[in-house]
Amino acid sequence: MLLLELFWSFVKIGFTSFGGLSMIPLISSEMISHGWMTASEVSDIVAIAEMTPGPLGLNCATFAGMRAAGVIGAFVANMGALSPTFTLAALASVFFEHFRDNKRLGQIMTGVRPACVGMVAGVVIDLALVNYADSAGKIDVYSLILGAVDLVLLIKFKVSIPKVLLFSALVGIILYGVIGL
Amino acid sequence: MLAKLYWQFLKFGSFTFGGGWSIVAQMKELYVNQEKSLTDEELLDITSIGRSLPGTMIGNIAMFYGHRIAGFWGGVACVFGMITVPMIILLLITSFYTAFQSNLWVASAMRGVRTAVAPVILSALLGMIKSAFKVPPCFAVAAVMFALYFGFRVSCVWLVVIGAFLGLAICEYYERVKNINVVA
Repeated sequence: MLLLELFWSFVKIGFTSFGGLSMIPLISSEMISHGWMTASEVSDIVAIAEMTPGPLGLNCATFAGMRAAGVIGAFVANMGALSPTFTLAALASVFFEHFRDNKRLGQIMTGVRPACVGMVAGVVIDLALVNYADSAGKIDVYSLILGAVDLVLLIKFKVSIPKVLLFSALVGIILYGVIGL
Repeated sequence: MLAKLYWQFLKFGSFTFGGGWSIVAQMKELYVNQEKSLTDEELLDITSIGRSLPGTMIGNIAMFYGHRIAGFWGGVACVFGMITVPMIILLLITSFYTAFQSNLWVASAMRGVRTAVAPVILSALLGMIKSAFKVPPCFAVAAVMFALYFGFRVSCVWLVVIGAFLGLAICEYYERVKNINVVA
């Protein structure tokens, strides 16, 4: 049952993600292990999700769901990713006062946040290994230089993410399309 | 009422790029400044709980607000409103991407874009550092989780669960032995 598998994958992704980026490691491993996306496509969806409205996790769900099982797949994947919202958050709304000063929640997050940092650091390396290599698996120097320029633009010059992605797309077209490297 | 909530969040959802913070800003403008149906403090509470529950932050925030105004179905209306436009846009992009993936120009552009993905994640990671490392043991948690993920390919589900327990242990240790409240 493809739809059920898709739903369950995104339920797992939903329940173990705490804000934007923390979803990427599990999305990456779920998508690649089911064969719904390649490692390059995971990078593409991260880039596409950053350039379009809507939260990253849901955009990934739409992309992966649509590719795996069409529009219905996209809807099912979204419902999976939103399952914590329809269950936990709905429950928390009822007991809102109780949740507001909940010490345990803060304690749990004290450990979950650094855990997410560790996982995300791992996925950055995973993606970098694919993105800076050519089709034969050798290091592509031009893409490595472009990546370094992107990093400087983002961190040193505080250029916004969509602008950096657009810049990289243009350089990509020139390097690989026009010049034909 | 449900239609109104759906429509309001449909508009919010159309203008969120990147993170979910722009939705919070739009909610502040409409509900706190104009309608005065929500106070600044209430919005802050909704945001901070939405952020610490699993799942999509703005999905949770939409659920909280809708539930507050019109119960569970109010929350559902807000969540569906919020996802409508992004989902349609992404369905279109996905079909375009699938159709033109092997086109030379699209492929070249995507190859360029991919070089920016690791830097984008890395720069966001730097922004997380301040809130993620409240006490020194948190660095150890991050290092161990990195090793388990990257070296041993332990499932992220387990890593989050282990992280949660380590968080409880670290906070209790600091509170009982050192008399420091980490969470506050």
